[in-house]
Amino acid sequence: MRNAFALSGVVIKEMYRRKDFYVLFVLTVLITLVMGSINIFGDNQIVRYLKEICLLLIWISALIIAVTTTARQIPAERESRTIFPLLAKPVSRAELVAGKFLGCWLASGACLLVFYLFFGVLSGTREHSWPVLNYFQALWLHWIFLAVVIAAVLLGSVVFAAPSSNATICLVVIIGILFLGGHLNRVATNIPGAPGTILSVIYFTIPHLEWYDVRDLITHDRPLINWVACGLATLYGLGYSTILLILGWAVFRRKTLTL
Amino acid sequence: MIRLVIVLLLSGCFTVATRLVPYFEQRNNQDSAPSVITALLGDSRRMFATHFFEKADAYFHGGLAPSIFDAPMKEEESHMTEEVHAGTTNAVAPAQEEEIPAFLQHPQDWIEKFGRNFFPVTHEHLSDIGKEEEILPWLKLATELDPQRVAPYVTAAYWLRNSMKKPDEAEAFLRQGLRNNPDSFEILLELGRIYRDNRKEPLVAENILQLALQKWHKRDAAGGKPEELVCEEILGELVRLEKQQGDLKQWLYYLEEMKKVSPSKDEIGKQIQEVKAKIGTPNN
Repeated sequence: MRNAFALSGVVIKEMYRRKDFYVLFVLTVLITLVMGSINIFGDNQIVRYLKEICLLLIWISALIIAVTTTARQIPAERESRTIFPLLAKPVSRAELVAGKFLGCWLASGACLLVFYLFFGVLSGTREHSWPVLNYFQALWLHWIFLAVVIAAVLLGSVVFAAPSSNATICLVVIIGILFLGGHLNRVATNIPGAPGTILSVIYFTIPHLEWYDVRDLITHDRPLINWVACGLATLYGLGYSTILLILGWAVFRRKTLTL
Repeated sequence: MIRLVIVLLLSGCFTVATRLVPYFEQRNNQDSAPSVITALLGDSRRMFATHFFEKADAYFHGGLAPSIFDAPMKEEESHMTEEVHAGTTNAVAPAQEEEIPAFLQHPQDWIEKFGRNFFPVTHEHLSDIGKEEEILPWLKLATELDPQRVAPYVTAAYWLRNSMKKPDEAEAFLRQGLRNNPDSFEILLELGRIYRDNRKEPLVAENILQLALQKWHKRDAAGGKPEELVCEEILGELVRLEKQQGDLKQWLYYLEEMKKVSPSKDEIGKQIQEVKAKIGTPNN
């Protein structure tokens, strides 16, 4: 496990050396501030639209950072042939996958922390209230969501040929699950025969990432989520991440590393 | 000599007018050129406008909104626009609120049931907590995208003048709507209410409401099938104004007109009898 933590440290260093996070953070701040400066019937108390826009930008930015960073990890090591000395350390392939996952997940968590700090300051200064626990729940669930995403992209990076195709396919699938995942069974009940059964199977198989999107609760100042539900969603998310990581390792251990 | 100067001045005026008229016509045409939004989005902007109007309604219900996969919310559940029409004789009394709306009552499986922990599922109204202003950005955006859509102007103006006590902003927004929809009797009705309730200018309000009534009849005559509820609302406002001013004949006239479109004919019939008794006209 020490090897995995050492590898994750390298990934985190790579993250803060790259410009992706800084660019997306500055863009989020700029767009939110411009939106906040719009005069809506001379009322300064209107804040929910601003919270919604800010949270949407945070979600988009976090997803892009997580997917693009993870998608290039293993292919980049293979391309630059640094994977051979790495595996000769000795670092097992399981440790490599675990280290890459841990590094991307922790780095994404650090980015999320900065984004949510900005969100908290913004909404606090406009609303004059500080629902810290609500923001903590939103941040936590968002981070668990990213764990599933990163594990899925790592699996994709050993299955698909190029990081670009992996990132695109993963983004399409993740966004599809976010928008449609929760409704598939309802659609399946209206479709008779095999297609309906297939939809139902997909519904019960996919990770329900839409659970982790609690933006509406935050935007509309709804009460705290039940902590038990939060805990169960955490276990569910970590369970799926583990399954995806094991699948990724299973594919990676049989893969030839020469290009 | 003076006559010659006058003739010269008149001919000068005529010449300038022949130059100025085409110039201003050209300028007006330039003003009505398509905006950047129209150029970029084309007719799809109307779809986005509908989306943002529905978003305002979802905001009004504290984030509670059915998805396209759920059964649509019942008409009487959209309280954002319903309250705008309140006060008419046939306005339905608000039904007993359900804590959880119909489209969320029966989860199909454990995933759906558990997922309800993570989005708003209980009914709440922004008007109950005094935060109606939160719907305004989306209504404003809806009018930017589709200036020919009347409902966002009327809804925003209603909340601006009633809850936020901002009749000036409400009037400015309605006038902007009127410039884009010169034949809208709904906007004129709301404008009339501002002059009656907020500005306390009953004569101006009466003129505006009469114009609204004319426009309603004009659309009706043109086969546009305007909503009878709106006509009843306009007549209701006129009845209240005439009653306030004590003009019995006009009061009677508007009551009789109202009886033609209202479903509560018996109630209005009684009021007609009362006014006739006051005037001294023999009962038929």
